Amino acid sequence: MVAQPSRSDRREAARERAFTAASLVAAVTLVATIVLFLVQLFITSRTSRAAFGLPFLWHSEWNPVTEKFGALPMIVGTLVTGFGALLISTPFALGIAIFLADYAGRKVAEPVKYLISLLGGLPSVIFGLWGLFVLVPIIGKFEVWFGKLVGSKALVASGTTGVGLLAAIVLLAIMILPFSASLILEALLVVPTELKEGALALGATKWDTIQNVELPYVRRSTVGALVLALGRALGETMAVTMVIGNGMKMPTSLFDPANTLASAIANQFLEATSPIYIGSLIQLALILFVIAIIINVLARVILRRGIQQ
Amino acid sequence: MKMFGRLSLVVATLLVITLIASGCSPKGGSTTVKELSGAGATFPYPLYSKMFDTYASATGVRVNYNSIGSGGGIKALTDKTVDFGASDAFLTDQEEAAMGAPVLHIPTCIGAVVLSYNLDGNPALKLDGTVTANIFLGKVVKWNDPEISALNPGVSLPDLAITVVHRSDGSGTTSIFTSYLAAVSPSWKSAVGAGKSVSWPAGVGGKGNDGVAGMISQTKGSIGYIELVYAVQSSMPFASLKNASGTFVTPSLASSAAAAAVSLPDNLRIMIVNSPGKDAYPISAFTWILVYKEQNYTGRTLAQAQALKKLLTWMLADGQSINEGLSYAKLPASAVTKALALINSMTYGGTTIP
Repeated sequence: MVAQPSRSDRREAARERAFTAASLVAAVTLVATIVLFLVQLFITSRTSRAAFGLPFLWHSEWNPVTEKFGALPMIVGTLVTGFGALLISTPFALGIAIFLADYAGRKVAEPVKYLISLLGGLPSVIFGLWGLFVLVPIIGKFEVWFGKLVGSKALVASGTTGVGLLAAIVLLAIMILPFSASLILEALLVVPTELKEGALALGATKWDTIQNVELPYVRRSTVGALVLALGRALGETMAVTMVIGNGMKMPTSLFDPANTLASAIANQFLEATSPIYIGSLIQLALILFVIAIIINVLARVILRRGIQQ
Repeated sequence: MKMFGRLSLVVATLLVITLIASGCSPKGGSTTVKELSGAGATFPYPLYSKMFDTYASATGVRVNYNSIGSGGGIKALTDKTVDFGASDAFLTDQEEAAMGAPVLHIPTCIGAVVLSYNLDGNPALKLDGTVTANIFLGKVVKWNDPEISALNPGVSLPDLAITVVHRSDGSGTTSIFTSYLAAVSPSWKSAVGAGKSVSWPAGVGGKGNDGVAGMISQTKGSIGYIELVYAVQSSMPFASLKNASGTFVTPSLASSAAAAAVSLPDNLRIMIVNSPGKDAYPISAFTWILVYKEQNYTGRTLAQAQALKKLLTWMLADGQSINEGLSYAKLPASAVTKALALINSMTYGGTTIP
């Protein structure tokens, strides 16, 4: 004789099925949203793709009057500001995370952690205002000093505004710091104590332990944190718009006004009326989307290689 | 089964009620229209919101205006989701073709764009069209350039680099300014042209009037263009410009209104930059309300058309008294006459709207 499933068992099973279905729907929705984004961007940019084709990617003229559009200056601006910011902020992020995880006492670490999350939650327009009124004048002075140092008359004479690529890089570096720092810190905090104690027991110094035990252990999460931070830097719009100078020409130095994909779209979309102009702006969004995907895939590939070694 | 029967009865009842309700509303609306909607330019937004507020308390008709930008307003009117659009630039032939039907340009006020700058001691500067174009072309790069000092005898100009500041976002202000430069400088016209966004040969971009003003106020040696209203409110210095008849004119409500006091085409679809008027400030322009000439489209009622016509007529009559208090120049009488003629040419089903 087989025991009949009780009433509560049956209810349990029904609940299980319902939950599975609900999770599946949520997961499918996420995937569908991303796919639909891509499809929509692809469809709505058809006017510009038809008019310019692939050369849109490497043409550097952006002229709404003659309706000749090319995305290269914005692609360069996006990549230079994003990776530049990452380059500057990563050592600081690692330093902050290691200090808070291994050197600072609770009394110091807690308030600092709180400040980091506060910084991470600040609206970007506040960073933008600070950038425009505090950072930009400093960079302007640096520009003149640097121009005299290398003997460039052009720098001293023309670029005393301070707005440009460099201002955007420094501002973005500060903006993404809380993200990478707090994510790396979270990872460092879950390194098993046995591993650390084991290393110390073997006679390793604190720095040896960090270098040979903790950092290798958190490598994966660190790369993850940096990719997230980079993603934020690439997509940041408001703050960048306020300090980058919004030049639509190919920048030739770090002090030149430039533009990023996100900032160009935000600036020009509202008043764009002709189909080709709108299509070109949407194609910029498509390019930004694809760049984000490529960077994520690359990060995964790098991670997998690292693990195999 | 029984339960389903009851459920379907409820659903059917609800459906019927909805149908009756939805069938009723246009009929109810055909006697009195209590609401109109528009969208477009941000430049006249303060003026329009004051006008519509006054209009609502005078007549009980509410007007919802969304200042989403001229481009957005043109799109909304093309999609026929609003009663009127508003724009700082007249429709291009391409845009007008996309509308599918004739559109009227009704001016409501005159805006002026001024050249604001940041120099020690705030000297009163005089400029003309050629020099301004050369500065924005990046050809005149120092404040003590002979081209500038020739126009400003007695003013000591520093040996300082000129930093050009322009708008980074598409805007009617840019359209007015570049139209002026294209009108006065052949080399600007061929190298850059006119439009809401252009390919700037020199300088840095700020977003919005406040972005440009912020950049000017913190950069020594900078020059940029902003709306007169904005410059007056934030008390920034601005230059006098030599107009088409050779007089240096300080931008003001009176001098920008004077730019429209010349002979105008009947459709008022014209940039009044570089106006021949003797006291005219040369970088002045209309801002327009856009409506379809034929009002019977996508199920609009005669009452809606009448309400719109009444509103537009009011804006050109009583509404004009609001302009100057908010630093927008009034339309001169000759322009009002032509604008009223345009409003009266609106039709419903081919006949004049009573």
